[in-house]
Amino acid sequence: MPYSSYECLTVERHGKVGWLINNRPEQLNAMNARMRDEFAQAWLELDHDPEVRVIVHTGEGRAFQTGVDVTEIASDGVGMERYREGLEDLDIHFTAWHQKVTKPVITAVNGICAGGGFHWVADADIVMAASDATFFDPHVSIGQVVAIEAIGLIRKMPVEAVMRMALVGRYERIDARRAYQLGMISQIVDPPERLREAAQELAEKIAKNSPAAMAATKRALWGALELGLTDAGKAGAKELVGMWGHPDQEEGPRAFAEKREARWVEPGAGGP
Amino acid sequence: MSTSVEPGTPEGGQTILVERNGPVGWLIFNRPDSGNAMNAAMIDALEVAWRELDADPAVRVIVNTGNGRGFQTGLDVVELAKDPDALREQSRRTKRAELRLTAWHNRVWKPVIAAVNGVCAGGGLHFIADADIVMAASTATFLDPHVSIGQVTAYEAVGLLRKMPVEAVMRMALVGREERIDARRAYELGMISQIVDPPEELRDTAQQLAEKIAKNSPAAMAATKRALWGALELGLTDACKAGAKELVGMWGHPDQEEGPRAFAEKREARWVEPASPT
Repeated sequence: MPYSSYECLTVERHGKVGWLINNRPEQLNAMNARMRDEFAQAWLELDHDPEVRVIVHTGEGRAFQTGVDVTEIASDGVGMERYREGLEDLDIHFTAWHQKVTKPVITAVNGICAGGGFHWVADADIVMAASDATFFDPHVSIGQVVAIEAIGLIRKMPVEAVMRMALVGRYERIDARRAYQLGMISQIVDPPERLREAAQELAEKIAKNSPAAMAATKRALWGALELGLTDAGKAGAKELVGMWGHPDQEEGPRAFAEKREARWVEPGAGGP
Repeated sequence: MSTSVEPGTPEGGQTILVERNGPVGWLIFNRPDSGNAMNAAMIDALEVAWRELDADPAVRVIVNTGNGRGFQTGLDVVELAKDPDALREQSRRTKRAELRLTAWHNRVWKPVIAAVNGVCAGGGLHFIADADIVMAASTATFLDPHVSIGQVTAYEAVGLLRKMPVEAVMRMALVGREERIDARRAYELGMISQIVDPPEELRDTAQQLAEKIAKNSPAAMAATKRALWGALELGLTDACKAGAKELVGMWGHPDQEEGPRAFAEKREARWVEPASPT
């Protein structure tokens, strides 16, 4: 399936793995209006491609992502106002979570992740980083509030570290090692040049699992971040039971017994 | 540091010291002979001290620490038993969730750093759970002896388990006084973000961190605090919506022009002074 042409992103497929690569390396992959619109399209395109089972998101150059392109904001007379309406209703579309992507998403942090760059760390299912990656949030150092990306993070990792990063701003960085200790990421890739290879390897492992079961699991776990414990358990139970009778639930044990790869129902081809 | 100002009218000496050092306000527990446990005077002084520091426009960041070997060891039950009125008042506030012990209870919107200088036990954990940033001397220890003396632990542990791995909080709550978490484990768990070694450098280190934070926009930090603490009350999507309001609410604020300009001109930003709390 040929993908649309993108200016600020590279979108490609390697085997069962769809790749979404930030491609404004000269601007440290900062997001201008064009890139924002391309994200919305690229996530949906990869999610709808039946050949793609897992999506990896990374960046070109020495940065992963550094948030909104401040040069564009400062120079075109529209400024942050372009985001007002969308933000007030949380009608935003640049991450996999915003776009309700059903497939597993791995963020592979290839360098600096700053400010708004945390949107793609908070909203990924799995995060790995090159050993030389660094994380910091300079919003309050330039008079900006940090909210949505840090709110996503505090659901997923120790809160004090997020508060510290939000309040210290540009005067301190977290390195890959500390991010790993805190459970913000689950893998450090050293040497850093091996990052894409390591992400492809992990994605291929994940691609061996039942797409339908993974989609329902994602709904159950992300849904749990919306609710109290008992309600989350109840909503999760619905996803659990909803998979019963799905062909993958017979195919899985059979393939295991026959020591072969399972032939899962294609994503989007029926099932819950 | 500047001279101490004792808020309120405590009996038997200054239970809380309030000091200022540059843009940093210090709130220091000062009952070192009692592990800084809270008696009636200290409970009253805490509320006054937080409000005073939060209202002082010269203070941009607040550091909370303790004098002596302990950081904070919770309610001084022995002392409070001698003062039935104070004990009754504290029980009433606990029942109604009207505690005024910590920065969070008192709605302090300036950044608060807890600098844990020694043992932090039981009700002392309130001040860890409710701080924005926590650092500790390498000799600091954490424990929750409530159940070992027949008390329930609730507020402080509830606050902690929103902020760090839950199993560690449950273990501390159920093992009681028989076990302690040391600074190293607290760091691994993300309960604290910095260990200071040697421990004597704790206050200098806290002052340095506070001075870095004091360089950031007070208005942006206050809105960020409201967004992030508010997020602990809500589900993810609702929290993001509420947070977005804080984000957009700052647009048009003078700090948002001053910040990038100062950065481009390679100078310190001149932020709008923090307003007194409303």
